[in-house]
Amino acid sequence: MMLVALLAVPALGAVLVALLPARLDRPARALGTVVAAAAFAVSVALGLDRGPLLPAAGQALTPWQQYKVSWVPGLNLDFHLGVDGISYPLVVLTTLLTLLCCVYSMWTVPGDGARGRLLVALLLVIEVGILGTFLALDLVLFFVFFEVVLLPMYAVIAGWGGEDRRRAARKFVLYTLFGSVLLLVGVFVVVSAAGTADLVTLSATGGGGMARATQLAAFILFAVAFAVKSPLWPLHTWLPDAHTEAPTVGSVILAGVLLKMGTYGLIRVAIGVAPEGAVAVAPVLGVLAVAAILVGSLVCLAQSELKRLIAYSSVGHMGFVLLGIATLSTVGLQAALIGNIAHGIITGLLFFLAGAIKDRTHTGLLAELGGLRETAPGLAGVLGFAAIASLGLPGLAGFWGEAFAVVASLQRGGTLWTVLGVLAAVGGALTAAYFMRLLRRVTHGPAAPAVATTAAPRLSTYELVSWAPLVVLALAVGLLPALVLGLSADPVTALLAEVSP
Amino acid sequence: MISVDVLGPLLPAVPFACALVGLLLPLRARRPAAVLAVGGAAVALLIGIALALRFRQPFGTSVELVDFGGLPVTFGVRVDWAAVYVALAVGVVALAVQAYSVSYLADDDRYVPYAAQVSLFTAAMLLVVVSGDLIVLLVGWEVMGICSYLLIGHDRTLPEAPGAAVKAFLVTRVGDVGFLLGIALLGIEAGSFRIADVLGAIATGDLSGVVVTTAGLLLLAGVAGKSAQFPLHTWLPDAMAGPTPISALIHAATMVAAGIYVVTRLMPVFAGTPLTVLGVMAAITMLLGALAATAQDDIKRVLAWSTVSQLAYMAGALAVGAVAPALFHLLTHAAFKALLFLGAGSVIHAVGSNLMSRMGGLRRGMPVTFWSMTIGLGALMGLPPLAGFWSKDAILASTEGHLLYASGLATVVVTAWYATRLWLRTFFGAPRSDAAAHPHEAPPLMSVPVALLAVPSALLGFAAFRSGFGDRLVMPLPAEWVGEYSGTAAGGPAVVREAVELVHVGPALAWPLLCLAAGSLGAWLVWRRDRAADPARVLGPVRPVFANAFYLDAVQDALVVRPALGFARAVRRADESIVDGAVEGTGRGTLSLGGVLAAAHRSGLPRAATAVLAGALLIGLAAAALGGLA
Amino acid sequence: MIDHVALLPAYLAAGTAILVFLADILVGRRGAVLSCGALGALATAAVAAWLGTRADRSTFCVDGAGCSYVVDDTAALLAVLFALLTLGVLAFSAGVLREGELPSGEYCFLLACSMTGGVVLAHAGDLITLIVALETLTLPLYVLVGLRRRVLESAEGAVTFFIVSVVATAVTLLGAALLYAATGAVHFDRLAAALDAAPGGGPTGRLIAASVVLVIAGLAFKVAAVPFHAWAPAAYDGAPVPVAAYLSTASKLGGVVAILYVTVDALQPRLDVAGPALAVLALLTMTVGNLVALRQRRMVRLLAWSSVAQAGYILAPLGAFTVASGRADIGLAVTATVAYTVFYVLMELAAFGAVVALRPADADGGEIADYRGAARRSPWIAGAFVLALVGLAGLPPGLAGLFAKVAIVRSLLGGGAGWLAVAVALNAVIGLAYYVRVAAQLFAPAPAAETRARVHWAAAAALAVATVVAVVIGFAPQLVLDVAAS
Repeated sequence: MMLVALLAVPALGAVLVALLPARLDRPARALGTVVAAAAFAVSVALGLDRGPLLPAAGQALTPWQQYKVSWVPGLNLDFHLGVDGISYPLVVLTTLLTLLCCVYSMWTVPGDGARGRLLVALLLVIEVGILGTFLALDLVLFFVFFEVVLLPMYAVIAGWGGEDRRRAARKFVLYTLFGSVLLLVGVFVVVSAAGTADLVTLSATGGGGMARATQLAAFILFAVAFAVKSPLWPLHTWLPDAHTEAPTVGSVILAGVLLKMGTYGLIRVAIGVAPEGAVAVAPVLGVLAVAAILVGSLVCLAQSELKRLIAYSSVGHMGFVLLGIATLSTVGLQAALIGNIAHGIITGLLFFLAGAIKDRTHTGLLAELGGLRETAPGLAGVLGFAAIASLGLPGLAGFWGEAFAVVASLQRGGTLWTVLGVLAAVGGALTAAYFMRLLRRVTHGPAAPAVATTAAPRLSTYELVSWAPLVVLALAVGLLPALVLGLSADPVTALLAEVSP
Repeated sequence: MISVDVLGPLLPAVPFACALVGLLLPLRARRPAAVLAVGGAAVALLIGIALALRFRQPFGTSVELVDFGGLPVTFGVRVDWAAVYVALAVGVVALAVQAYSVSYLADDDRYVPYAAQVSLFTAAMLLVVVSGDLIVLLVGWEVMGICSYLLIGHDRTLPEAPGAAVKAFLVTRVGDVGFLLGIALLGIEAGSFRIADVLGAIATGDLSGVVVTTAGLLLLAGVAGKSAQFPLHTWLPDAMAGPTPISALIHAATMVAAGIYVVTRLMPVFAGTPLTVLGVMAAITMLLGALAATAQDDIKRVLAWSTVSQLAYMAGALAVGAVAPALFHLLTHAAFKALLFLGAGSVIHAVGSNLMSRMGGLRRGMPVTFWSMTIGLGALMGLPPLAGFWSKDAILASTEGHLLYASGLATVVVTAWYATRLWLRTFFGAPRSDAAAHPHEAPPLMSVPVALLAVPSALLGFAAFRSGFGDRLVMPLPAEWVGEYSGTAAGGPAVVREAVELVHVGPALAWPLLCLAAGSLGAWLVWRRDRAADPARVLGPVRPVFANAFYLDAVQDALVVRPALGFARAVRRADESIVDGAVEGTGRGTLSLGGVLAAAHRSGLPRAATAVLAGALLIGLAAAALGGLA
Repeated sequence: MIDHVALLPAYLAAGTAILVFLADILVGRRGAVLSCGALGALATAAVAAWLGTRADRSTFCVDGAGCSYVVDDTAALLAVLFALLTLGVLAFSAGVLREGELPSGEYCFLLACSMTGGVVLAHAGDLITLIVALETLTLPLYVLVGLRRRVLESAEGAVTFFIVSVVATAVTLLGAALLYAATGAVHFDRLAAALDAAPGGGPTGRLIAASVVLVIAGLAFKVAAVPFHAWAPAAYDGAPVPVAAYLSTASKLGGVVAILYVTVDALQPRLDVAGPALAVLALLTMTVGNLVALRQRRMVRLLAWSSVAQAGYILAPLGAFTVASGRADIGLAVTATVAYTVFYVLMELAAFGAVVALRPADADGGEIADYRGAARRSPWIAGAFVLALVGLAGLPPGLAGLFAKVAIVRSLLGGGAGWLAVAVALNAVIGLAYYVRVAAQLFAPAPAAETRARVHWAAAAALAVATVVAVVIGFAPQLVLDVAAS
């Protein structure tokens, strides 16, 4: 029941907020924030009563709680929700980031603040879509929620974005739709072959006894669909444009949780439903993932625009996550899960900061920035922290995912995986290099004109309020990775029981 | 009274807590920050002392931090005598540095984060010292790297500071790629990241020799980076851009010591090829560092290069498997190098310049500094009976009959030469600048730590005479462990180890002493011919080569940095023009195709009608044909 | 013995036409005419629905040869749809007619006649009835399209429409005649039996194959499928917007019904021949429609091309089924087709309704650029418009459209036509490109403070109803699927 509430609260809230008249704009935003807070509370409460922690025997997927009603039998569509150790951290991350974005939007909205309530409403709709994706235990339902996100995000980018927003938004929506229509095809390849869309059943039987060829086809379709979303090189080029043009909150949600739909889908749907296909395609996936790591960091090394750089860093980081998944080993999947969370926290923070810097200096060009620590020490400090966390410094959240993706790949053994692991480690060094370059350009040295004339040197209250949780989490997850992985160990093992690489 | 099991983890925990609090303090809260920093360091030192007092037997504890499916990561301590001693050294140096910084950075408006970062640095080093798990060790290892980055980049007036900071971090980070891979390899093969388990697996032969050797070589990359061994030494001299106390911290007890220390901790991993490689690196680095030191005018750079070559001594000792001498030298070096840097700081503070060409005749103006540094320099060149003499002698004795012995002796000559040069150029002769003309002794908060550090620099060597001291510096045998390591620890056969002798009084002592005399006499003779001129002038044509450390920076720049950046630019262009170009191209292509089709549909009525009719008939005929075949 | 009860819907539809005619002559007031038409349409719908709930009946039966007029659930559903669509279009027309630009009497009369054709078509049981009904449905439209006086495009569109339509009908008739020649049957079930018996190859085989294809090709015209689609944009754009709405909904529905009946009931045995043709036809239709729509500047033309593309989606399952005939059960394909048609018709109606509501009563569809900032001026209508467009694109929040697309893909993969499924999927991406362009225009900042056009209450009401229904069945698509499956 709480599962339904988790979706219903933001959904109704969005409608309510959108319906309020323009003169009640600020109260509407406040209301939206309250709703987001409520959703966050529900998601936390969700974790308090866990049913069976240990997966049932021969059961690849054992939700703590589930809720199932038939919706459209004609389309094999059940309204089947559930949460387990793999999805729960992502659920909480989603509700948290949405809440922080709503808080942030209570004070500042790009452009004329007149339509702020619409932005908040859209954020809530996006939240519904993402949460639904993480909670869905029915393939068709998963697809439906997967699509729910597209247009609201398009609206956020096109409505509140930067100069070139229309182009970026169109590119985003078309490219990602391309991905999700393939998902649709894949879903019904599976459904018409296995005769059911129920994820529990499907992953319990390791693909519902589908033929190997079918599994292969399904997995490839899924993989492409999720690779676009994640994004996996070379299907990533929508991301930089979207990130660069999107408003701050848009980028935060996009990088923080939207991308996770791809990696989560890969784990829960692609591997869960088509394990044999996964085994067959894993090496390709691994190679592309490492390519993503290297290309991402090299491009960052030569990047000249702040938000673009962070966007490409996402490509690199998600590369580590996908490498972890590609190894199809417990270590790898665990690394991928914590990498997901860490990237959500840290890159979310980084985009908040990038937004704050652009708002203050009105430029994102590294060449025009510099000496931030002279004029805005607080901002520079947080930026430094976020960058250091993002380059995977041990002791902070980013480390575990990246280091253990490498470990998993080495553990997999064999020439290919060993080489991949080594290259990934080198990619880690490159990551450090470009973040060092970023910090040197932005914070060190004498204050550049754009920075010297910055409007508000001090951090304002709402910035502190919306950033502090992320800073704390980056540190907490770094020191106590068990916060994330404690719950997922058993489900991951159960999931991989169906896979035999 | 707290048990050692608690004291161990507390060692890094206390300064870490101080660092966290300190980082949250506002910039103007100088006094609380200072109290926090000095207090933190003091408490850490006290804990170290308590640990030493209550220490009976090597022990270890661990709690599982997280389990990556069959690969548990534990947070635990693994404390033997070596760890205790190094921890004490770290505590002493950290306390000295913190106290010294309070007045050295008296008029720096960003002292607050600085102090917190120093605390973090200390915490990280202590974590490396006590950690019983490779992953946790890596945490401390890397956190030190980032702290060095932050602190080297601290000085906002120096334009080169940010660059030096980035260089320090990246060069070590490159080495750490190998370090991470090595740890991963060991962890995977041993099924655990606990040092005890890894060593146990090696002892019982569960790990194949190939794996161990590979891991050793990989780890060596990280060690070379941290301990500034050729070819990854280039960051250390540039690191002088950091405030002088930081140089003291990095060079004496933390950062650079970590590499050597980790080798002693994982000695079995390096057995064989890795040690040979280490030996070669050490032999090269020793002379390279010493020679580079001869031609520097910046007093801090002289000391920096001396660190490089002194570390090479320790590496050399390890290369021949002499763990005890290496750690012994690490401890003495910690004392006198901290002393030298802090003293140099006082000098710089007084003269207002790093350049020895602007100093001279300072011994009258600042006696405390003068005498302290005299002891320090004596220890550096190995003047009996100062600390450096005994430890260096122990190393040379252990390397006898080895290539390293030759380069060791040569290095003694050069070391003596540049140490004497520094001593004379700084404190004797006529002042070469107004500031040097009437210098002022440093304030007590600075001069007292320097003076106090003179004590160990002078006397620590006599520890070698204490029986059992040497034995304590080598890794305990499996049987000696208590706590959860007992038995399991390094399950190998409980061989009885022969006692380690650190003092070798005998004819062999003559050689290093002769080299020493030769070196410093040479410097003195050159100097007294013209007291105003730099003795380095005798180097003649090779002087610039030494001054630029054999132009290895340029090489590194040409071979690594520039190619990497060029490649990055190329990749970016490719990604934008080819990968994204394909996407955009598809879009444009679809649009134009639509245009073509649209144009095709702009046709008059008659043609449309005929087209339809024709289409229908064609389809009909086609079907008729098909139907025939059916 | 004729079953007049079964014929009641047809009677009522025809009666509506006559009533409207008389009302125009005797009363001559617009309101009266309109209300007569509306009431008639309502009554027709009601009765058809009522019949649908009763046991199946049929009449005009030749003993042993099946019947020409059949009343079953499908027929009832379609009849109701025809009537309601007519009602909706009447509502949209209220505004235009008020302007006095168009003659209300003729206008309503012709619509009612067309509706009669639709109702009969829904019940048709043999080829002749089917074709006659289809013509009855189409003929009045030639006039309606050309009804706008002093507008060149209107006349041009009408003529194109007329000529091409005539050609197509000729083709269909030719096909039907050849079939009769080959089998001597016109009733669907008789035809099916005869085709089953007839030899596959030889002259008869050729004859049958050709005739089957000709029939389908001719009918493809009505749904504006490639290559018989060229008329649609011109006709839609020339016609008054409500008529365009009728063309793209009722008339297209007629075409679909005709094809469905012919293929499923009559020609099923020989679809192995027509199947590939139909599949390729579907593929071409959706692709060409979408691609050309990308470049349209005028709103109605864009909708016209998009409806061409939609026709492709509608035909796809039949094509897939026939390609994979034997492997899949035709029920799946039919259900998908009918369901998609229902969803589509609804959203298309809503879209055109929004166009009517957003434009001045006497204006045509206009340029897409004219819609800039519509969301600021009249948010509700713009909202409905966006919902309809998004539905046509097949994305949430247009859930109806989403499920429609899902149903199609599902049936395609069920029928083992994966390649066609992928084609549909990719076309959805192309489609979104222009739907989103229009939607973005609506929300773009308005160039100047334009006065919002007055919306006739009837049009607004119809739009509201259509939108609400779309939303409802979006959340409960099973309703439609159940009816379609029967």
